[in-house]
Amino acid sequence: MDYLVAVLLPQLLHGLVFGAALGLLALGLTVIFGLLGVMNFAHGELYMFGAYAGIAVIGVTQSFWVALVVAPLLVGVIGAVTEVATLRPLYRREPLYGLILTFGLALVFREAVRQIWGGDMRRILPPITGSTPLLGMTYPNYRLFLLGASSVLLLAIWLFFTRTRAGIVVRAAVQDAEMLDGLGVDVRRVFTLTFAGSAALAALAGLLLAPVFTVYPQMGVEMILLAFIVVILGGMGSMGGSVIAAFVIGLAQSLFSLWMNPQRVAIAIFGIMIVVLVVRPRGFFGREGVLE
Amino acid sequence: MSRVLSWRSALVLAALVALPALPFMSQFYLLLAFDALLFGAIAMSLDLLIGYTGLVSFGHAAFFGLGAYSTAILLERGIVSLWVCLGFAALVVGLYALLVSYFSTARRGIYFALLTLVFAEVVYTFFRYTQTFGGSDGIQGVPPAQLLPGVAIDTPLSNYYAVVVYLALAYVLCRVFVTSHFGKVLVAIRENEDRARFLGYNVQRYKIAVCMISALLTGIGGALYPGRSAFATPDLMLWTVSGEFIIMVMIGGLGTLAGPIIGGAFFVLLQEQVSSYVDWYFMVIGLVLVFIVLFMPRGLLGFRRMLGFGQWRATT
Repeated sequence: MDYLVAVLLPQLLHGLVFGAALGLLALGLTVIFGLLGVMNFAHGELYMFGAYAGIAVIGVTQSFWVALVVAPLLVGVIGAVTEVATLRPLYRREPLYGLILTFGLALVFREAVRQIWGGDMRRILPPITGSTPLLGMTYPNYRLFLLGASSVLLLAIWLFFTRTRAGIVVRAAVQDAEMLDGLGVDVRRVFTLTFAGSAALAALAGLLLAPVFTVYPQMGVEMILLAFIVVILGGMGSMGGSVIAAFVIGLAQSLFSLWMNPQRVAIAIFGIMIVVLVVRPRGFFGREGVLE
Repeated sequence: MSRVLSWRSALVLAALVALPALPFMSQFYLLLAFDALLFGAIAMSLDLLIGYTGLVSFGHAAFFGLGAYSTAILLERGIVSLWVCLGFAALVVGLYALLVSYFSTARRGIYFALLTLVFAEVVYTFFRYTQTFGGSDGIQGVPPAQLLPGVAIDTPLSNYYAVVVYLALAYVLCRVFVTSHFGKVLVAIRENEDRARFLGYNVQRYKIAVCMISALLTGIGGALYPGRSAFATPDLMLWTVSGEFIIMVMIGGLGTLAGPIIGGAFFVLLQEQVSSYVDWYFMVIGLVLVFIVLFMPRGLLGFRRMLGFGQWRATT
């Protein structure tokens, strides 16, 4: 019982927190993938941008909460500009080109941040301090806030995609952009706005996680691999699948680390992915024929 | 044979052999030339997959790194024969490549890219954290390999000639493959996999074969690397290195073999040149890549259409 409360429970909560944040990241990735057929290699850098934009805004306003609103908007604008300038000319080309283009963009973004802020590790102080007694243990307030905020966000995104016209248009574009174009929707604008939205989501995840993790130019590289695995596990282009897979990976990561050292955890996660792909080649909810 | 070894490639080979005779070729430039040709050859073997078969491998750094580690492990333990090292590297890389290609080639497109990526990450993580092989420091300060007992490949010049021989053999091999029936089937798979299957070809077997060839060539290249650098580190197989290999192929021009050699050499020289002036060379490389994708999708050699092959489908 002591083991359960003192060790297992906090780790489970850690896993949920991490899974929720990973879900935000993977969701943007999978929507962009469904829409443009591009596995966005620069997504991790947009996540990193969120944290650094947060540092910049906090430097000016001294407020984490202002940063939480402004930083994702800034990164969203960067995303929109990037989409129009570089991805739009590639719409009709092989998906390979998008993959390679975003790889190049990731290099540029990472280096830009390293030039502006330097390569050192940085920290953002949690805006909420203290901890709360919970089920016989104490848990940091900020992590509770993180869990609440990401859950609310995930719910809001779900409502957006199911209940609003804009969300339905995006889903239609994922399904068949050409048909949507024929129905008189400006598909290019949908693409750009969706890319901006996915960039803002990644930035939000980056800033929300920054007080828990450290901020450094390579932070996106490590996150993006996990996000890729989540997207593959969930099934390419399946939003629900991505969220579920994010929680699976988040929980697996934190529970495994109770019994294994970090490299075993990493290998175990890769192992899960390989096994799932062998047993269920399209992931949990993947559809047949999506970009194969 | 005359088609394989045209007078032009013979001329290039002669120039490469004569290169160290130039007065300004210091030790430093010889090592730079080594890198340029080595990565050129690796990009060429990757081109078999990307350019000819349409399979984007994001895990070639693992083949390269495994080759380098195989040699470094043997050299560190006093087994210095080049041939034993190369044989061991081929065995290790071959076994790993068989596993990877068996699972990866069952999937197409983006799944193939990501599966190779994840397999490579497993290898990277393994070496990064295994203290027997030096952990994150890798294996440092290995002795040079010996061509024959007593004849060590220990100078930049001998290393350079080793890589010239490797490049020449690899080029001939690749050229033979792509001009053969085998190569035509690969292009058919790239153009329309289902149709190739309906014509009766066992598509997966062809894919596994080309993966193995490409991986082995890359692994042999990796096996030559510790001779030049005296180390093998996990950073050699970071997934961003795999990305750089793809960049080299793209710069040179997909499906041209000669193009990626130039692309690899260009990339190495660009990195060297830019990094000697500024410390933000990754930005320059990223921008070059973006520029190439946007404005020169067929790469440096892409202006000419290679005889007998349609260019990579730039538009659909």
